[in-house]
Amino acid sequence: MTATMEAPAIADAISAQQVARAFGSVRAVESASLAVRQGHVTALIGPNGCGKTTLMLMLSGLLRPDAGEIRIAGHDPRTDSAAVRAAIGWMPDQLGSWDNLTCLQTLTLMGEAYRIPRATARERGLSLLRRVHLEEFADRPARVLSRGQKQRLSLARALVHDPAVLLLDEPANGLDPRSRVELRDLVREFAAEGRAVLVSSHVLAELDEMVDDAVFMSKGRTLGDDAAAMVADARLKYRIDAIDPAALQEALRQGGVEFEPTDTGAVTRIDGEANAAQALAWLVRQGVQVHRFGPVGSALEQTYMAMNEERR
Amino acid sequence: MSTQTNPTAEHHLPGSDVAVNPPARKGNPWLPTPHGVSLMTRIELRRRRPSTKGYVFYGILFAIVIAICLAAAIFAPAQLSSTNFEIVLVMVLGVGMLIAPSLSATSINGDSGEGVLAPLQMSHLTAGDIAVGKLLASWTVSVIALVALSPFLIYTFLNSGWHVGEMLLTIGAILLVVLAFTAVGLAWSAIAARAVASVALAHLTTGFFLIGTLIAFGVSSLLVTDEAPERDQYIDWEAMSPEAEEALSTAYSTGDFSELDPDDYTCVDSEWAYTITHTEKISWILLMNPAVMITETAPIVDPVTWEDDGRAAPGLFANIHQLVSDARLGPYEQVGDYEAYDECAELFRQSEIADMTEEEMQAEWAEQEAEWNARQQEAANLERAPWVGLSVAGVLLIGSMWIVVGRLRVPYKKLRSGTRVA
Repeated sequence: MTATMEAPAIADAISAQQVARAFGSVRAVESASLAVRQGHVTALIGPNGCGKTTLMLMLSGLLRPDAGEIRIAGHDPRTDSAAVRAAIGWMPDQLGSWDNLTCLQTLTLMGEAYRIPRATARERGLSLLRRVHLEEFADRPARVLSRGQKQRLSLARALVHDPAVLLLDEPANGLDPRSRVELRDLVREFAAEGRAVLVSSHVLAELDEMVDDAVFMSKGRTLGDDAAAMVADARLKYRIDAIDPAALQEALRQGGVEFEPTDTGAVTRIDGEANAAQALAWLVRQGVQVHRFGPVGSALEQTYMAMNEERR
Repeated sequence: MSTQTNPTAEHHLPGSDVAVNPPARKGNPWLPTPHGVSLMTRIELRRRRPSTKGYVFYGILFAIVIAICLAAAIFAPAQLSSTNFEIVLVMVLGVGMLIAPSLSATSINGDSGEGVLAPLQMSHLTAGDIAVGKLLASWTVSVIALVALSPFLIYTFLNSGWHVGEMLLTIGAILLVVLAFTAVGLAWSAIAARAVASVALAHLTTGFFLIGTLIAFGVSSLLVTDEAPERDQYIDWEAMSPEAEEALSTAYSTGDFSELDPDDYTCVDSEWAYTITHTEKISWILLMNPAVMITETAPIVDPVTWEDDGRAAPGLFANIHQLVSDARLGPYEQVGDYEAYDECAELFRQSEIADMTEEEMQAEWAEQEAEWNARQQEAANLERAPWVGLSVAGVLLIGSMWIVVGRLRVPYKKLRSGTRVA
């Protein structure tokens, strides 16, 4: 992910530079910088209360930053909030729905709020409901929806005006496993359509397969290159388990490979799938009885955990 | 449409199979727009649409109103009477001032708590659209209450001696007052974080203007009261001999005071403060009262000529107008007008008074009564003064909406304490 070339600034659909915001004496966001390019999905990751939602609110133009610069599709939310709103689709972390209105009415009225003609808004609403698999609830009031279904309605609502930028605040909360997989595919589709997506979540394993980039946040600060390096490093890690761990470790030592010993084998760094295949073949040739060989797991989760460890 | 649902078709058009082109917008608009206001009002009214149970409840209520109407039609006296009509107007005002602010006072902080406010703020609806839309939606509910009471209203109107234009004027004033206090409720809901607080504050504000102004009028009347020491003289009954007392009693009963001997009676002084309250200086406090303002829009009913004018006898509103006008006119008497009362002197002048002929006395009483009646008629016919109340309603309306729009504008500079944006 860090291998991609530095893109010109104009391509950044979301850009924030040293944004800060305090509520009274509480400094919710101290210094946050991030950039999301069109067609990319970026994760915003951090522990509870680190300022993710506050940052999202400032990006969406609901909250005025005390300091720093924000550009959404080239517009400043402070001076040109109408243009920002036209460009942004925001799915809040708080689930709110109009309980008395049907799902289709909700989307139609939201569409009208974006000044889309009613008939078009209605059609758009129907197609969005199909997209988030709520079509059978189109004419049922929103109060009958489960939490996960409301979440999907909220996602559809963020898309009524076909925004170029999507801010998804904890979109996977309360979703069943199947819906999570569908969400992941949807988010990738959004990016493929050329939208810039910023998504915050705690379900890191899911984010791993969804995002191109990750921004870590801790205590109101975005962790820039350090965290990126840690993610890149974590992506290289492979876990190798052998029936005889000692023999495996001996073989690696003999081959001059750097590794971290574990109870069941070793963790080492391998760059790329071709190299991994070669490494496995080499180990087998050495007579090591490998029963498990693969990436360690969620790179984001490893980074997150390592980061949290530093905090302690 | 249904043929386009397969996933490959979706990829051809970004977003979905329905392309939308919302108009481009610039800047940071906040003024209300006709489209936004009507949309917001529609959203609010649909959201608060009653359930089936609610419709049954309102149906029963409506049926009761019609039943009362019929009963009144059967038992009402034949002559004109405006009081029934005025009571219905008071009911409309009361229902409106209770219901609409209750609804509006939970409208903003409630929505913010439910998480449905911020998505609207993120749309092209401006702060003005949301504020005015919410105001009109809550206000419409009181208009519906008015419609529900309309059979009663129309029936009582027919027998009230009011003219159609006058009825429309007063109903218009009632709706304006309700609109103003709905706006006050909305302002409180934009200021207070919790619905309980904002509803209480909205009703306190209403109560302040309805009852507080009366109390303020009463208290401030002390400030505009002139005092003049007066000295009256009375016969001292304590120091009287039994014979003298008997003689006096006899004299009172016969009216013949000539037998009494002045030396038998001692006189005592009684000093007291003679007060006159210049209510004309503080009548504006009364005129601020929204209920007084409503009565001030009602037609003037002359207490003497009402029958020839084709009116009903002065009813509730006309009497309130007369009382308020009396306060506006100020005291009937001035300090210094008062003639000290001297019982001792009177006592021995009685023989002279007794000399007055019956006709002279009748004439004096008639003059006094005519003076009093003239004053009453002047008060009843005093020009109506709804202007102070109308200004109060206007200031409340505009001021409240100013606060609401300011509070709804995003990006937020600061938040209500104890709340989140979304």
